[in-house]
Amino acid sequence: MHPVTADPRAQPVPSGRALAKATAGALVVAAMILVVAVLPAEDGIDPIGAGKVLGLSAMTQAGAVVEGPPIATDAGLVPTAMAHKAGAYYPAEYKFDSREITLQPYDYLEYKYHLQMGAQMLFSWKASAPVMHEFHGEPDDGPEGYFESYDKATRQAGDGTLTAPFTGIHGWYWENTGGEPVTIRLTTAGFYNGALEISSTKKRRSHELRALETLERDRN
Amino acid sequence: MRTLITLVAALLVAGTAGLSAHEDFRVIGTISKRQGSVINVKQRDGTAAVVRLDKQTAVSRDKKKVDTSELKVGLTVVIDAYGDSEEDLLALEIRIVPPIGAESAR
Repeated sequence: MHPVTADPRAQPVPSGRALAKATAGALVVAAMILVVAVLPAEDGIDPIGAGKVLGLSAMTQAGAVVEGPPIATDAGLVPTAMAHKAGAYYPAEYKFDSREITLQPYDYLEYKYHLQMGAQMLFSWKASAPVMHEFHGEPDDGPEGYFESYDKATRQAGDGTLTAPFTGIHGWYWENTGGEPVTIRLTTAGFYNGALEISSTKKRRSHELRALETLERDRN
Repeated sequence: MRTLITLVAALLVAGTAGLSAHEDFRVIGTISKRQGSVINVKQRDGTAAVVRLDKQTAVSRDKKKVDTSELKVGLTVVIDAYGDSEEDLLALEIRIVPPIGAESAR
């Protein structure tokens, strides 16, 4: 009978303790990767600020625009109260915007403006048929997906004002619940610094806003 | 070697967390094929979306709940789903609606 000799090339079988240590180590490293990279990039959750440092948070930022002019989100249009609280001054003139939006059957779209906290906007919109609508705002520094609803109803028109309760994007979700296209005519004026359109395909597009001087051009 | 295995295992675990971060999609079109719990929808732009149904998928017609067996080829549907792409969606809600343009045809 030949003696059984150990193969010198064989790896030793790890003990249960060694395996437990390796598993615990893997879980710790996994947790670190989750917090530092995956959560900031995928969900916009950045508990330790690493995502911002590494530039990963930009992937989920609501301000990331696919096409159109950049939206200035700095504090340029913050109102300063007058001696009487009835009024406020702004460092720049207001802008205005007017456009026609067509919603295809069963489709939806969002259209919003960026305003600083306290800044005001006037709006009027009218649709060719009733649409499901939600007027709402998303704070710049809010969690991904967070919004506050100002009004939610089926409407065919809306005329009103908004004083932004927080700095962020504020506007409408319109949904065509019928089988025919619906046209919405929107006109606004306000101390906003950007307009953003978000389609149901998640495509984001910013729009140029009109300065008051263009009214002079129209007149001449 | 142990360090490498530990790192690979860690990346695998961390990577699976990213799989849960899907996007919402709205699919509007006509059912072109149905095979069990998977339906193919031809959208208005001609592209096809592949949508899976599960036990949580809510199906309705005229705002009334109906069985998933009602989803037949040729029907116009509006689907709210989530997934990574239009080729791999899980339906949250499916509404059976009249064919697009039917209102003006009356």
